[in-house]
This record gives sequence, structure tokens and C-alpha cells, in this order.
Amino acid sequence: MVPTLILRALVDGVLLGLFYSVIALGLALIFGVMNIINFAHGDFVMLAAYITWLVARALYLNEAAPVAIVTVPVFFAIGIAFYRLIIKPLLGGDPLIQIACTVGVGFILQNVALILFKAEPRSLPGLLLGTYIALGPVSVHLAKLVAGAVSAVLIVLIHRMLTGTWLGLAIRATAYSEEVAKTFGINTDRVFMLVTGIGIALTGFGGVLWMSFGQVDPYLGASFALVSWIIVALGGLGGIRGLIYASLLVGVIEALTMTYISPSVAKAIPFVIFIVATWLRPQGLFTGRG
Amino acid sequence: MFTRRDLVTALAIAVAGSAVPYALGFNQYHVLLALQALIFATIVLAWNILGGYAGQLDLAAFTYVPLGGVVTCKLLEVYGVSPWLGMPVGALAAMALASAVGYPMFRFGVRGVYYALSTAALTVVVHEMFILIIGPWDFYLPRYDGWYYLMFRTWENLYYVVLTLFIAVVLVNLAVSRGRLGYYLKAIREDELAAEALGIDTRKYKLMALLIYSSILGFVGWPYIVSQRTYSAWSFSSSMSIYVVVAGILGGRGSIAGVAVVAIALKLVEDVLRGYIGGVAPGAHLLIYGLLLVVISIVQPRGLGAVLERVPTLVQGWVMWWRRS
Repeated sequence: MVPTLILRALVDGVLLGLFYSVIALGLALIFGVMNIINFAHGDFVMLAAYITWLVARALYLNEAAPVAIVTVPVFFAIGIAFYRLIIKPLLGGDPLIQIACTVGVGFILQNVALILFKAEPRSLPGLLLGTYIALGPVSVHLAKLVAGAVSAVLIVLIHRMLTGTWLGLAIRATAYSEEVAKTFGINTDRVFMLVTGIGIALTGFGGVLWMSFGQVDPYLGASFALVSWIIVALGGLGGIRGLIYASLLVGVIEALTMTYISPSVAKAIPFVIFIVATWLRPQGLFTGRG
Repeated sequence: MFTRRDLVTALAIAVAGSAVPYALGFNQYHVLLALQALIFATIVLAWNILGGYAGQLDLAAFTYVPLGGVVTCKLLEVYGVSPWLGMPVGALAAMALASAVGYPMFRFGVRGVYYALSTAALTVVVHEMFILIIGPWDFYLPRYDGWYYLMFRTWENLYYVVLTLFIAVVLVNLAVSRGRLGYYLKAIREDELAAEALGIDTRKYKLMALLIYSSILGFVGWPYIVSQRTYSAWSFSSSMSIYVVVAGILGGRGSIAGVAVVAIALKLVEDVLRGYIGGVAPGAHLLIYGLLLVVISIVQPRGLGAVLERVPTLVQGWVMWWRRS
């Protein structure tokens, strides 16, 4: 009996961790390449979840997944606008001001959502993916399984893009040193724009994944913002691998404490780990080449 | 430590502040509003010491405020201890928590965004621990009346107490900014490594700033929860802590007048907006804060303080222009 419970918590935790890693990856890209501290990241996920809900309702869809075709390009465009209007003036500035400004963007998104959609939570029926399937001894929520699998594929794709293409090389060169990248003829402004676009497009994807099993309210962003920052900080900059380890760690710990202790401890534990981990290893738990 | 001008300013604030309840005709709703604005301004001025002078982005203001308030309240409810004694104990509790978390952070060189994240995480942890240990319910304060309980049927008396506290915190800010501590803190804000290279014990002075900040917050906790009439796990709030930072940055980090003016103005604007359009658009005041924050951080990152500094020269310029024409 007990092993099944542990197994189920582990599977849930891994799937949750994979989902977190998509959101955290967007944040890590923006922070790692441009040194921009974005506190509005979670609120973009919230916005994406609402747009998913709206589009699915308008097209009489029960599932969130197909809406990704709409949200991902839309959020890429939003990301580019976000770069032009907000990020570019803040580049290289005081971190305090970056945080203040992106918190302001978060306030705007939250309260526009509150005014438009009111505070009640919204969700999609998710008939097709709402079932549980047996995976050996554990039964898994199909929507979460799909979300986890899609997240894993996405992470691999981004990793390939970063390591195997010219664009990825340009991004890594710019992250290494903007000045050096410029002398080699890389248009760093365009790289920054693309990175912000990709980072925000990932939140667009995260919103769709979330809506395939969760519900959205205007304050959804706050819960993602802090968790994804903690994953980035634990993972350390410099590799996707560290990021994935950190996401899985946070997801699994959250699921295990949720099962064995209580939901309120489950929410606090990753934060306690984070506080102590920054004392011991300020450069991140899993720093290394990725 | 204080010049004559400072004392005159303090006296002017005291006189003007005392006149406020009379000007409001002792309308209880308006006096309560003034009280809340003043409490918020006191909190933001306390943040100014750590966030404004030392440049440490602390996001845990509303961990320390309710902590001090709850400690004071429990002492009164369970042991009948007067808040006059309970408030200092609350301040000590806030300082104890701040140093338990702050000392290792400064010791191990946690700075910048990691400091901000750790303090935000602290608020979440305390919030969840409160639910776990005390419970997820709303707690209403016992109804007392009198100076022993520092709680009254009307709001003026508490307003005067907080006004005194506010003036004291303004003076603390002045003393810090003029003194050696202030110069060290500003050096740390501008370039921590350079400050360290010059032989400033950065850990020690950051910790001092943190302790001053958290003790003020713990102290003001009791008036805060009295003015709210209730406390719960949701008093430990990241979003409230963020509003403190918003006011501190909009006011201009390190500018005492700018910070105080912005804190009071934001609180009043919030209430007016809530009253007029709250029914239609519940988050309108926060939407406006958000817009202000974005515009100011891009256009004038030094906040209102920088604008206020230029007022005397502007006025001089106008006067000269007027005389000439």
C-alpha cells in the first residue's frame, strides 16, 4: 500500500516539476542572457491561461491543448512588445528598478484580469483528458501526463536550439558577453528581442498546459512567480540540466509533503529549502555545464 | 545630531498632524483613514532605511508588522500584558526573526535578487506556518477601551500615538542619513564590493539597518492590527510588502520627504478610488499603481525625491524670470 502512495507522489511530483521547468526556463533565458529580473513572469502565465480559456470557450473547445497554436505566437509577439516597451529601457540598470518596473507590469496584468474576468476561478471541462489511466500500479491524471510529456519535449527542443543552431550560438555568445558578441557581428538587440519573445512564448505554453488540468484566477501568477524564481536560483545559471534538476526537486518535494504531511507545509518546504540553500551555495545547487 | 531646522520640521509635522482630526471634524471614518495612511507611511519610512539607504530590496515588511502585532495581541489576551509593554516585545520578536534569517544571509553574502527572493520566501513560510500552528481563521481583536489597552472606542487617541511614532521614525531616518551609519549604507548601496574594499564591515552595517527596520515594523504591528480590527494568516502578505516597496521607490529611495508624501498620497488615492469605482472595477487603484510604477521607473528612476529636490531651484528660476519680465 505505502509504496504505491510514494510512487504516485513521485510521479505527480515529476510531472509537476516538468511543468514548472517550462515556466522557469523562460525566466532563466531572460535573466541569463539579459540580466533582467522579471517579476511579472508568473502574471504572463496567468494571462496565457485566461486567453486559453477565452479562445477555447469562443471555439466551443473542451480541451486547452489545441489553443497552443494561438497562444504561443501571440505570446511571442507580446514578448517582443514587452522587450521594446519595458525591458530595453531597463537594460543594464539598477536591479531594484528592474524589479519595481516588472512588479508594476504584474500589477497591470493582474488588475486588468480582475476587472475583465472578476475574481471567480475559471476552468475548462477537459472531457477527453480528464480521465485517469493506469500506469503500472499508479493511476495518473491523463492531462497531467500529457502536460509533463509535452514539457519534456519542449525542454529538449529548446536545449537543441541553444546548443545546435546558429541562433543558439548567438544567444549563448550574447549571454557570455554582450560586448564580445557585438564585435563578432551579432546583432545583440535582435538576440535580446528574440530571447524575450521565446521566454514569454514559453509562458504562453505554460498557460495552455495549466488550463488542461487547473483553473485560473487573477492571482494565479503570484504562485508561479516565486516558485519559478526559486527554481532558477536553485538551478544556477549556466545550464538547462541544473534547471531541470531543480524543477524536479521542487515538484517531488511538493508532492511528497502534500501526500505525507499537509498542503500548507508542502507550499512552505521549497521556500525553506531555498532560503537555506542560498546560505550554503549562493551560486545554485546544480551549477555546472549543461 | 539634529539641527535646529530638523526640530522645527518635527514640530511643524506634530502641529499639522495634530490638527488633522480637528480639521476632519472627528469624523471617525476619516480619522481611521488618516491613521491607516500614517501607519503605512511609518512602515515605508522604516523600509527606507534598509531599502533606500542600504539598497537591500527587502520584501518581508508584512512579515514583521503582523508578527509584532500578533505577539502584542497574544500577550494582552492571554496574560493581560499592556501593549505598552507588548509593543517592545513585538519589536524584539520581529528583530529576532529578522536576525535569524538576516545574519546567515549577510554572513554568506546573499545579495541582490537572491536577497529579495529570500525575504519574499520568508513571508510565504511564515504565512504557511501561521496556518499550520494557529489556524486558517480570521481572529477578531478583543474589544477594550482605555490607555492601558492602547485601544479605544474612537480613533483619535491611537492616531496621536502613531503620529508620535511617525515623527520618531522621521527623526531616526534623519539621524541615520546624517550619521556614519548612513554614509556606510549608501556606500554599500552604490557598490558593495568597493565598500568592502574600503574596510567597511558590510555585514555588520547591513544587519544594523535590518534590525532598525524590523524593530520599527514590529513596534507598529499593534496599531496596524488594531486599525484593521482583525488578523489572520493573510496578514502575512507578500502583496502588502510589495506595496511598501512601491511607495518607497516611487518616493525616491533615501528621500525622506518624498517617501512620506508618496506613502500617504497612495493610501488616500487608494481609498478614494475604492470608494468611487471599487464596485465597478475592484482593482483600479492597483492598476494605476502599476502604471505609475512602470512609467516612473523608466522615466524618473529616482522617484519623487529627485523632483522635490529640484523644487527650490525651479521656484528660484520662476521668481527670477518673473522679476525680469
